[in-house]
Amino acid sequence: MARARRGLEVNGHRRSLDGVPDDERLLDTLRGRWRLTGTKEGCRSGGCGACTVLVEGRPTLSCLTLSSEVEGSAVTTIEGIASDAVGRVVRTAFEREGALQCGYCTPGFVLALVGLLKERGARVASETLVEELSGNLCRCTGYVSIRRAAEAAREALG
Amino acid sequence: MGFELLRPATVPQAVALASAAAPGELAVLAGGTDLLLDVDRGLVAPRRVLSLARLPWHSHRWAKGGLTVGSAEPLRNLELDPRLARRLPGLHDAIRAVGSVALRERATLGGNVVRAAPASDLLPILLAYDAVVDVVGPEGRRSVALDALLARSREPALGHGELVASVAIPTTADSVYRWQRVRPANDVSQVGVAVVRSTERPYWRVALGGVPSRPLRLHDVERELARARPTREELGRAAAVAGASAPFVSDKRASEPYRRRVVALLLTRSVEQLLARATPKAG
Ligand SMILES: Cc1cc2nc3c(=O)[nH]c(=O)nc-3n(C[C@@H](O)[C@@H](O)[C@H](O)COP(=O)(O)OP(=O)(O)OC[C@H]3O[C@@H](n4cnc5c(N)ncnc54)[C@H](O)[C@@H]3O)c2cc1C
Ligand code: FES
Ligand code: FES
Repeated sequence: MARARRGLEVNGHRRSLDGVPDDERLLDTLRGRWRLTGTKEGCRSGGCGACTVLVEGRPTLSCLTLSSEVEGSAVTTIEGIASDAVGRVVRTAFEREGALQCGYCTPGFVLALVGLLKERGARVASETLVEELSGNLCRCTGYVSIRRAAEAAREALG
Repeated sequence: MGFELLRPATVPQAVALASAAAPGELAVLAGGTDLLLDVDRGLVAPRRVLSLARLPWHSHRWAKGGLTVGSAEPLRNLELDPRLARRLPGLHDAIRAVGSVALRERATLGGNVVRAAPASDLLPILLAYDAVVDVVGPEGRRSVALDALLARSREPALGHGELVASVAIPTTADSVYRWQRVRPANDVSQVGVAVVRSTERPYWRVALGGVPSRPLRLHDVERELARARPTREELGRAAAVAGASAPFVSDKRASEPYRRRVVALLLTRSVEQLLARATPKAG
């Protein structure tokens, strides 16, 4: 449909949505169109969390979000995480704790954790932290190192 | 084949677009967590999709004696409101059972109601609160009890061109929702039990999900729990009635006998949990 669109602000840079079909998912716009391939596609049906990005600072599944539906919003992907203070803390915690093996789930976990720490603050209970990360799946680590990284990031911010 | 997205800015425009469409040509999009998967699976192929994104339905409001939720309000916004767990703890439990945090950032309560899934985690507690659905359409506005909206299985009683504007919960009451499933996140409940403790009769309002047709109130169980503080024996009888009378079947998620045992347990624990809380929650 021909109309003026407000685009998106991705990792602080304005991106145009001109030419993006109405039914295109944010996941495909990010990866296919803008080559921001750090965001991963797992199940494409809402069940694994690999595609998690931040929309207006809040964890959102990019596989179930139309790009046109979030026009005008600020989007943060793993490529932009180093310019975020909480993002840097979470990245360091993942590195120190060795919270990844193949790394496919990592961008989703990092964005989910950054969003969660911003929404709930560094006082969030361990139980809530674990529960609210449970929508992200990992086939490699067994989750123990990821949990340690999440708690380390929380301590570092507290 | 793709679809065109319509994003009306006013409710009359949205109703006009919905009413003008031929059946099957247009689908309504709230958060899209059901609709977009249906499109991917080829279950629906709308040429036009009507987005609720610009309508004034993205908020919730506490008013005297209850909560009104705009149909496009994401579940995550409700859950992050600290008043929810105090005033409607059962709804807080139920919302946190849906999918994952990042799913709830888009999924809405209105979409869940219109979807009317038998395994919905939100419908049992909404039924137990006697929720009322506010509908707008070509004939104007109307309010309909959620129970009546769900009269037909999987197909809410909405007329052509009608949209759900909001869902009203006419109470704040101590309440709990408990579910049983294989994996906590991103899994479907095998059984869900909602219990609301009221200061008026019936003192205990009980509803059930995970049955094949639609979530429903268990009035025979409510009759067994006739008193504000049921005895152990009375609770035991109510649990037995729930286990015996609920219309469960076996499917890929769980067997019928398993569900019957689970519902009795979930009911017992829910009532005990509410009885153990000092005073009924208010304010
Ligand atoms: C991975 C995953 C896990 C899930 N887990 C659970 C779970 O544990 N428990 C559970 O209960 N649900 C679960 N769900 C389903 C849940 O996400 C949806 O039912 C959600 O609440 C629907 O809201 P929505 O805004 O996404 O609806 P949409 O997909 O936008 O819409 C759903 C349907 O309602 C119609 N519709 C929406 N809004 C309106 C309106 N205002 N007026 C008229 N029609 C309307 C749409 O046309 C569509 O047919 C899960 C889904 C996924 C993908
Ligand atoms: S790819 Fe989006 S949740 Fe799995
Ligand atoms: S590190 Fe391989 S999936 Fe998590």
